[in-house]
Amino acid sequence: MLDPRTKLLLSIYYAVLIIASGHFGWLAMEWGLLLLFVMIIGEGKTYLRWLRMLFPMALFFGAVMWWSVGREAAIVASLKLLALTSAFFAFFITTAPEDLGNSMVKIGMPYAVAFVMSTAMQFVPVISRKAKNVLDAQRARGIPLEPGWSSLRHYPAFLGPLLIQAFQLAEELAEAMEARGFGRPNRTFLKVYLLRRGDWLAIGAGLLILITSLILQRWY
Amino acid sequence: MTSSFILTNRLQYAYAKSKEHRALDNINLEIKPDEFLLVCGASGSGKSTLCRTFNGLIPHFYEGKLQGQVFVAGESTTGQSVAGLSAQVGMVFQNAEAQLFNRTVELEIAFSLESLGIPRAQIKKRIAETVEMMGIEEFLPRNPHELSTGEQQLVSIVAILATNPQIIVLDEPYANLDHVNVRRVRAALNMIHKRQKGIVICEHRLPQTVNDVQRMVGLQRGHIVLNGTPDKVLQRDIEQFDLETPLSARIGRQLRLPNLPLDVPTLKKDAPAISYPTDLKPNLLQSVPSGSSLILEVENVSFKLDNTKILRDISFALRVGECLAVVGANGAGKTTLLKHLNGLLRPSNGQIRVMGQDTSKSKVSDLARYVGIAFQNPDNQFFKLTVWDEIRIGAKVLGRYDESWLQELVELFGLKPLLNRSPYQLSGGEKKRVAFAGALACKPKILALDEPTAGQDLNFRRVLGEVLAHLRKMGQAVFLVTHDLSFAEQQAHRWLLLSKGQIIADGSPWEVMADANTMTQANLEPTDAFLLYGGENRGQVTEDR
Repeated sequence: MLDPRTKLLLSIYYAVLIIASGHFGWLAMEWGLLLLFVMIIGEGKTYLRWLRMLFPMALFFGAVMWWSVGREAAIVASLKLLALTSAFFAFFITTAPEDLGNSMVKIGMPYAVAFVMSTAMQFVPVISRKAKNVLDAQRARGIPLEPGWSSLRHYPAFLGPLLIQAFQLAEELAEAMEARGFGRPNRTFLKVYLLRRGDWLAIGAGLLILITSLILQRWY
Repeated sequence: MTSSFILTNRLQYAYAKSKEHRALDNINLEIKPDEFLLVCGASGSGKSTLCRTFNGLIPHFYEGKLQGQVFVAGESTTGQSVAGLSAQVGMVFQNAEAQLFNRTVELEIAFSLESLGIPRAQIKKRIAETVEMMGIEEFLPRNPHELSTGEQQLVSIVAILATNPQIIVLDEPYANLDHVNVRRVRAALNMIHKRQKGIVICEHRLPQTVNDVQRMVGLQRGHIVLNGTPDKVLQRDIEQFDLETPLSARIGRQLRLPNLPLDVPTLKKDAPAISYPTDLKPNLLQSVPSGSSLILEVENVSFKLDNTKILRDISFALRVGECLAVVGANGAGKTTLLKHLNGLLRPSNGQIRVMGQDTSKSKVSDLARYVGIAFQNPDNQFFKLTVWDEIRIGAKVLGRYDESWLQELVELFGLKPLLNRSPYQLSGGEKKRVAFAGALACKPKILALDEPTAGQDLNFRRVLGEVLAHLRKMGQAVFLVTHDLSFAEQQAHRWLLLSKGQIIADGSPWEVMADANTMTQANLEPTDAFLLYGGENRGQVTEDR
């Protein structure tokens, strides 16, 4: 298994490649490779669900481009957007947030920053559950918070309780962290992060492939 | 000072936001390193505040004014940091959601050990040891937020236990747990105590705790008013401090038993009477008012979410003036059923009719006129600046504003002194009362309450009981969802016993509890009152001896 830092670096290589690609065929191939990778690691379903969310955005983006610069550029730009976000999807699906954070601590990132990064991810489902509960409670009182423009005027009824609870949660979290020794100097880590030979090889090979592809794209 | 691990000396504390009010006043307390101590008192008596002085959260995390001293292992807490004290005094908070913040249980347990700077090999060893001791090996790779509430409480305890503190402090550990989970956590704590650890529990529900602890300290308005072994303290009248004496102890007191029995099995062993004093027998409601009209009909309702059946083939009806309690363990599907009443959820199969109206074909805002729901957490709904506006908003939106009815509600729930305050500044019990009044504001046909007593003290339960009695007299139908069986026993005409999404029993509280098999299947335990008096239903009724 590769070190999280290696994976991050490889994703950045791939992103550079995508950004540098200006032709429809190349982009399609790059995206196709990502698709293949996602299928191989068995995350096809998750990817599809995520794509369904992203697709309208890419479409909108493409439409704007079409209108402003033309068809060809629009297709290329939308494809770029899809491939680029897919590259980072592949990265995040294979890397646990705390692994990324803690391995970055080893190369000088403050622990507090790494902690915020990984913990924020952990609380996304908690906050969305709270949002659901607020919606239910308000709708049960007859406040129409169904999706749609007409409910916009009632949005304080949704945002108010949600925000206040998010602050409360943050306060309680801070207290619990403090009570469990957060901020004591000389912290140790359960997992070790080492750049092994495989990592260096992957970093080197990736760089080589990136440069070759960039040169090839210039020619064809 | 040698024998005590925690020592407070003339401790006084006032929170920064209310300087004139002392949350703690002149507290002198010694806690031995291997003592099992209960700190009890009504809501707002200062028990949580006191516990937060033991690990330095007060004065380091909370601003405010502290006088007197707190010593931990002979050293004053003022000169130490919270992080530093965490190695000696571990604290388990009430809200599991906030104190579990790692992606897996393993990382959760590792967190405190990592903070202490323990080498990696040892962290692994400690995790393995603690997890084995508590028997939760299979949790390690799981995400803490996906565990059940009882399991989360266990993980919180293990995460603290792994750092090997001398004393573990728990803030209302049983507030959201059902009987089975309370039993699991109690067993875990007893085992930890056997290993020469000190345990301090903050609780106001005594029946669940007095049997485990060696000493209890009672607080009222920041003062220590009770201090001694449970069998001594429970000889006194503690209702004056809004604390509930376990029924077995009350009976033992009346029978003048030499040793006060703290639970039902002990009482039955010490005094194997056929019948116990009748004046302590709770008054149960007479059977359902028959003949009154149906307002809710639920027919063969099933509900599926992501291909998992959460409710299966549920049928029942509710009549005018009836109080129906849906009882069941954590995760039985009670709240899911509740959300079907006003169309927040729609059945996958079957039909629900409220006042003859099919909920599948009605809007939530229409059904809200007929069904007033107060969910467990009132914070989910407060957004107005004053209590008065908060109560009125529902009635206004629904176009059913009736000033005199609202005044009546304010009177009924005792909210007059609070009307101009912000709902967010209220205590937990006051917030609940506001939410209940809000749910009734549009004069719904059905009042539905979701776990109304969770985490609430005796005084709140008493007040709510009186309000419900008043509402019953007015013919209000009430739909109660709860795992608090002793409350449901006294307040409901009829119980629906829910287990894994199915109704497995339907009848009066004592009829339901009389079937030991279904109770076990539902992961519930009969109430003390039923265990002591329930048998008489079928046998002869004998006089007080």
